[in-house]
Amino acid sequence: MSLLQLDQATIKFGGLIAVNSVSFELKKGDLFGLIGPNGAGKTTCFNLITGVYKPTSGKITFDGKEIGGTPANKIANLGIARTFQNIRLFKSLSVLENVVVGGFLRHKTPLISALAYLPNVIKETQSLKAEAMELLKIVNLDKVADVRSADLSYGMQRRLEIARAMATQPKLLLLDEPAAGMNPQEKEELNAMVKHIRDEVGLTVLLIEHDMRFVMSLCERIVVLDAGKEIAAGPPDAIRSDPKVIAAYLGEAV
Amino acid sequence: MTVLPDLLAGLEFSTLPQQLVNGILLGAIYALIALGYTMVYGVLKLINFAHGEVFMLGAYTALFTSWSFGFTQAGSRQDSSPGILIAMLIVSMTVCGFVGVLIERFAYRPMRSQPRIASLITAIGISLLLQYGGQLFLPSSPPPSISDKVNPFKGNIEIPLKPADSALLAQAEQLKAKVTSTKAAYDEQLKSEKDSFNLSPVGKGLRTASQDAERDYRNAIDKANKDALVITLPQGQVIMLVTTVVLMIILTWLVMKTTAGRAMRAASLDFDAASLMGINVNTVIAFTFFIGSALAGAGAMMNASFLGGTKIDTFFGMLPGVKAFVAAVLGGIGNIPGAVLGGILMGLAETMVIWAGYGNYKDAIAFIVLIVVLLVKPGGLLGSNKVEKV
Amino acid sequence: MKFWGVRLASILGAVAFCFLLEGVAQGQSSFVQRLFVLAGLYVTLAVSLNLINGITGQFSIGHAAFYQVGAYTAGFCASRFFAQLNLPPAAWLLLMMITSAITAGLAGLLVGLPSLRLKGDYLAIVTLGFGEIIRIFAQNQEALGGAYGLTVAPKIQYVWAAWLLAILCIAVCRNLLRTAHGLPFLAVREDEIASSAMGVNVTQTKVVAFVLGSMFAGAAGAILAHFESFVSPPMFTMDVSFTIVTMVVLGGTGSITGSVLAAILLFYLPEKMRDFTNIPLSGVAAAFVAISAAVFAIRWVMQNFHGSAKDRAIRYLGIVVGALVIWFISKALLGNVPSLKENIDGSKLRMVVFSITLVVLMLLRPQGMLGHHEFSWDWVRSKFGKPTVKEATA
Repeated sequence: MSLLQLDQATIKFGGLIAVNSVSFELKKGDLFGLIGPNGAGKTTCFNLITGVYKPTSGKITFDGKEIGGTPANKIANLGIARTFQNIRLFKSLSVLENVVVGGFLRHKTPLISALAYLPNVIKETQSLKAEAMELLKIVNLDKVADVRSADLSYGMQRRLEIARAMATQPKLLLLDEPAAGMNPQEKEELNAMVKHIRDEVGLTVLLIEHDMRFVMSLCERIVVLDAGKEIAAGPPDAIRSDPKVIAAYLGEAV
Repeated sequence: MTVLPDLLAGLEFSTLPQQLVNGILLGAIYALIALGYTMVYGVLKLINFAHGEVFMLGAYTALFTSWSFGFTQAGSRQDSSPGILIAMLIVSMTVCGFVGVLIERFAYRPMRSQPRIASLITAIGISLLLQYGGQLFLPSSPPPSISDKVNPFKGNIEIPLKPADSALLAQAEQLKAKVTSTKAAYDEQLKSEKDSFNLSPVGKGLRTASQDAERDYRNAIDKANKDALVITLPQGQVIMLVTTVVLMIILTWLVMKTTAGRAMRAASLDFDAASLMGINVNTVIAFTFFIGSALAGAGAMMNASFLGGTKIDTFFGMLPGVKAFVAAVLGGIGNIPGAVLGGILMGLAETMVIWAGYGNYKDAIAFIVLIVVLLVKPGGLLGSNKVEKV
Repeated sequence: MKFWGVRLASILGAVAFCFLLEGVAQGQSSFVQRLFVLAGLYVTLAVSLNLINGITGQFSIGHAAFYQVGAYTAGFCASRFFAQLNLPPAAWLLLMMITSAITAGLAGLLVGLPSLRLKGDYLAIVTLGFGEIIRIFAQNQEALGGAYGLTVAPKIQYVWAAWLLAILCIAVCRNLLRTAHGLPFLAVREDEIASSAMGVNVTQTKVVAFVLGSMFAGAAGAILAHFESFVSPPMFTMDVSFTIVTMVVLGGTGSITGSVLAAILLFYLPEKMRDFTNIPLSGVAAAFVAISAAVFAIRWVMQNFHGSAKDRAIRYLGIVVGALVIWFISKALLGNVPSLKENIDGSKLRMVVFSITLVVLMLLRPQGMLGHHEFSWDWVRSKFGKPTVKEATA
């Protein structure tokens, strides 16, 4: 069944049409790629799905609900989590605390009991921390749980962003250029990690990536954007030989 | 729905044109200060909290300069000339310019790599330091003021907008005739009275009639005068306005036509790109602070010398500073024509509040305007709204 | 069971501490009692502002407004209802603290809802503006005594009340930070967009911090009103707000212990300076020169010298000695300037000290005394001794 559906989604900034009636559909369990040259509107697409921007027109449906224009925090609660292209960690918080923030949306105790430091809050805090620790093991950051997140290496920060997003226990995970700035070995590990997240944890994944080899080897279906428009969609092999895609990348070996 | 007419009934519309002119004059000073805020914000994205204190130092500089010309409190010198005023203006502008550059060099430049809030805290600190530290070293209690003998332009310029209604004038004339006749009758009666402190009933009647006629005449004349609209402009204030306009024209030329101005505009668009293009941003920023502070110095000098008896203390710049900041935000901070527009509007808003009879709230209006602008149109009237990149 | 035992013990400990202070203050002059109460109030104000400025990262510089709302609420209620209710003073004071907390909280909500859409310096200036509007409003309200102020009867001067409030405020903030509930507040400070992507309701979080901080300031206002038995608009000017901001900044934005220490220090220091009545102006001017020279020398060492901690310490020591020499020489030189020959009162230096504190801090240690850290012996040890295990792995 379809988990996320974009139907003619469009957003204009002044005269610029950043995303121009883009439509695609993600099924539950998909590992889906969104590619395109710089300025194609990929991140803007993410921002539309996660509620940072409100679409000018068109529909975005998630899990049977229309979510276009819903505030970002409500969308996170509905089950969409994301990472950011320009890493946005809570810099002065520890690695573990970053992940607990992600898990916090499932809290049950009211704020007032936290102010009074009641046992149920203490218990909840402990269980959130334990869950966060489990996630840190998946992304292999459990050894640096108490380190300030700003002090992590670039690759580690990207993995921490993934762990933080997963802590919200989403149905759909959006990764914005997760491999950017990583060396080949780190990319290899990331590839395995994303597959693990889809196969073992059971999340649907939508990712933006510039590294073609990475996308082609990882994703099962790909949508290509150029100048805000959808120019191709299909499995990696079809995309690779699509003349429009080749034209868009202007000779870049795909 | 009867509230509005009730409110309007309390207003004195005949004084409105004069108040509007006063508002523009006040607004011109705010505009001069607002230019400093807006230029610095344009380049550094910093609210220069200490700008009001630069204004205060400008007033003190003008005071000391006037003293050095012999216009001390003892009042030994009587004659002044435009030359002395120009000298005071230039000294104030230069001193303020350098004070601004020094503040930038030693307080703000080290903060450039820090989060913006650190610059803001530094700016607040510098502002408080100049207010309270200045109190120790500058004459402030009792607050001195620049001798009004400095200003040789004492006359008023009167602009009649509308003569009094002739019917009203005629009515008043008629009443005047009645005043003369009743007065004559009363005077006549008085001669025959024995005791002028204990009048006979006839005398009392005539006295009352005479007083009534007198009162009616006064009322009629007042009514006629109120109907006539005359705007009174003290010459000094006209000179202030002209100087302000000239300074703004020079500023526009400086920013739009000179290399330094182009560098300034480039730095305000993209700080890093400008420095990559070979612009020495430190020089540009120092230049910006110099110009902005010098304008505040000009405003301070004129404010302290032309508005007779303006008291100067170390908090002199606080309220004008805040109001000018609001003016800059209102016009769109970073936008030079916006600062002028905002300044004029703030001046008008303030005089309108006084005119409407809420003089106690004249200092609150600035903040109310600020809050409304930031909530309704945060970019200001002539500014643009930017979206944060995700 | 152990949990409740500890809880009971700490509550009893706090109460015992408050009454110990009360006992100590009772034997003292009314001046010393005043110091005790005001110190407690400033701790409350600083810690509650830190919840807004430091922990949630919403830089507000109008905290005095909520202090004022609280004080006026208590003043107004006392003049209308105290005689009718006929409560014992302690009960009345507690009732007023709660009432004032509620009105100040409502004022916080009123101010916070619209202005928290703004960021950084704009928010700062709007909070300042609201503070002034509230003051000017009170000044023009006949029912609130206008510019003359309100006399508040009865006079209630309990040292314990001020410190119980301070401890409550510290405990609430500390509890918040010890549980997962504190993390959204910190997350909003760090990155609003990422916070909302993690499901944090950013506006709600900010407003909660703002209202909670305002409530404590309001309760402090109630104590002030009854302690002074008088409230008037000049008691709540921008200076008061700036004083509280200086405390928070000096302590380190986000550090509760830092705020407490800074509040006591910055409250006590100016009070102590009142004892010095004949400070030569030339000495003050010389101090400006010496401090400026020292600050820029220290900055130079911080930026250009990367030797061992010991070598660094020696250089700093050298700078301090050098600054003293500069002070001495310039004092001698400036002593000849006629206008600097007067003597001034130490009380005039209060705001000067605050402003210099702010500027010097920003130039040398913008994160404040403790930065985001809390004061603990582990932390002190990590500063001076070997790195702790955590840092070694990092």
